[in-house]
Amino acid sequence: MFLILGGILVAYALLAPLTSLEAAQSANVPLLADRLWFRIATYIAMFIVLASAWNIIGGIAGYAAFGNVAFFGIGAYTTGMLIAKAKWPFLAALPLAPVVAAAFAAVVGLPLLRLRGHYFAVASLGVGVAVGELVQNIDYAGQPVFGGATGLFLPIYSIENRGLFFFYLMVLAAALAVAVTWLVLRSRFGYGLIAIRENEEAAAVIGVNTTAYKVAAFTLAAALTGLTGGIFSQWNVFINQDNTFPIEYNVQMILMALLGGTGTVFGPAAGAVLLQLLIQFLGGTLPISFEIPFVSENARPIVAQVILGVLLVVVVLFVPRGVIEFFGGRARFSLAYLRRSLRETSL
Amino acid sequence: MADFVQLVVLGLLAGGIYVAVGVGFGLVWGVLNIVNLTHGALVIVGGYITWMLFAGLHLDPFLSLPVDAVALFLLGYTLQRGVINRIIRAPLLFTFLLTFGLNLVIVNTLLLLFGSDFRSVTPAYSGQGLELGTIVIPYVPLTALGVAIMLAVVLGLVLNRTRIGLAINAIASDRDAAQLVGIDLRHLYAMTYGIGAACAGVAGGLIAMIQAITPTAGEPYTLQAFVVVILGGLGRVSATVAGGLLFGLVEAFGQSIPGSGSVFANAIAFGLMVIVLVTRPQGLMGRLR
Repeated sequence: MFLILGGILVAYALLAPLTSLEAAQSANVPLLADRLWFRIATYIAMFIVLASAWNIIGGIAGYAAFGNVAFFGIGAYTTGMLIAKAKWPFLAALPLAPVVAAAFAAVVGLPLLRLRGHYFAVASLGVGVAVGELVQNIDYAGQPVFGGATGLFLPIYSIENRGLFFFYLMVLAAALAVAVTWLVLRSRFGYGLIAIRENEEAAAVIGVNTTAYKVAAFTLAAALTGLTGGIFSQWNVFINQDNTFPIEYNVQMILMALLGGTGTVFGPAAGAVLLQLLIQFLGGTLPISFEIPFVSENARPIVAQVILGVLLVVVVLFVPRGVIEFFGGRARFSLAYLRRSLRETSL
Repeated sequence: MADFVQLVVLGLLAGGIYVAVGVGFGLVWGVLNIVNLTHGALVIVGGYITWMLFAGLHLDPFLSLPVDAVALFLLGYTLQRGVINRIIRAPLLFTFLLTFGLNLVIVNTLLLLFGSDFRSVTPAYSGQGLELGTIVIPYVPLTALGVAIMLAVVLGLVLNRTRIGLAINAIASDRDAAQLVGIDLRHLYAMTYGIGAACAGVAGGLIAMIQAITPTAGEPYTLQAFVVVILGGLGRVSATVAGGLLFGLVEAFGQSIPGSGSVFANAIAFGLMVIVLVTRPQGLMGRLR
């Protein structure tokens, strides 16, 4: 039932943008999507990649990475620099984004992944913050190397129906991320990662090369994240520290994976759709808008953040196994379920 | 030479703030095993209380520190008792996200209440300093350093000499055994978090005297508190004091390198932290656990 409904929704989301093509318009096909929907749908696809990639290291391997946004930024700046400074064509520059991000992940992953628990979480957060700061502030001979605080402007990619092109490119990346997750979960590699998550010492004893597996998972997540960063840089045309290294993305991608269910194939994707729609709705960018009583228009982004914070708290408190569990048929959404999950984790 | 001494002085003075921010964070982390991402927000709440008392009642900022401590203790106790206690047995990711969510709520509520304007606390004596030859020691940061050390000493005494402190030590070493001997875990967890929050409040009061604050000014302090606690080592107040002072020194010297400047503060802090974590995970003075 939910599968059919979900399938119809996905099909609509994928096909509706096509009605904006001139051929469709001249044939009088009703316009089902405007430019704004494009942008939001592209963002949703982007977050599906981010959440699915985080799921590989955070959900399947159980390492709470808090700095994945560094890979996004590195991917964005790799493609951005190649296009803006070296004048490479976009399609030639894009494949290097995941390569550089993955190489960086392998280098920092080797020392970082020796840490566990809180230490790994905050050390990776530190890498995320530090890389963003370095990119913005590194100078060479008095000139900022990466565009500095003003950011980097890319030439606009000349192609017909640009919005449509980047939407489908992002959707392709999202499909790739979900497919990779599916493959990982069905491979020896995936079972090794799950063994590491459940008990790292035991995994080592039964012959899992834990270091190699962890670094490989981290690198894979980085490659997918870097790829989206590369697409984002050309799609958005302008990149700077704020839009490629935002700390909020770290939390959002984790919350999405958590909301949908960590360690599953479709969970992070479903969570990404839900949460991104909610964020856009609260931010007031969706065509369906709303009025919050007693709140002026200017204060609305702040109120949206408060609501997001409360939502985070409520999800963590009451639905620790993700909302997708209710749709998979394994649990019923009920008061008893909420009380049980509270009891399991409280003092 | 004078430059060197001046840098050492500035580093130690900055370190005083890090000590104040770090002790509460280290307590909560060491005892409750929570990396408290709300810490920076609590610090700034303390800063705003000091600012309100100063701007509204013209109260000397140092006299408002006890008010910060009491108010933040109550807030912290309530947060832990009402919210965080309910998730304490869940995996670490959950406490991480929960405290981040609380941080969002507090910071944005402050934004709604006070706006994003810079607020500063400037008593008559701010900006003055002790001049020793060519070296200048500003009064306010010097007193703040004194307050921070006092805060650490008081916290150490509370933890090692009082019944509450002994109970807190007991739950830190074995939660279930502590419960068996009749310690009320819910209350004691909330007390620990409350004491941590009170320290954050005092730190916030000190910070408001030294820099202009905005609701988002607390975020860097969460990360810096983490680095300070890692540097010193988890589980001892004295280690956090050493870590805080060392961190202040490293920052002062890092920023004095030609061509670097304050823009690399985070990169220096985290580079140092990763090196310490990888080479000496128990910190410079910590005990292996």
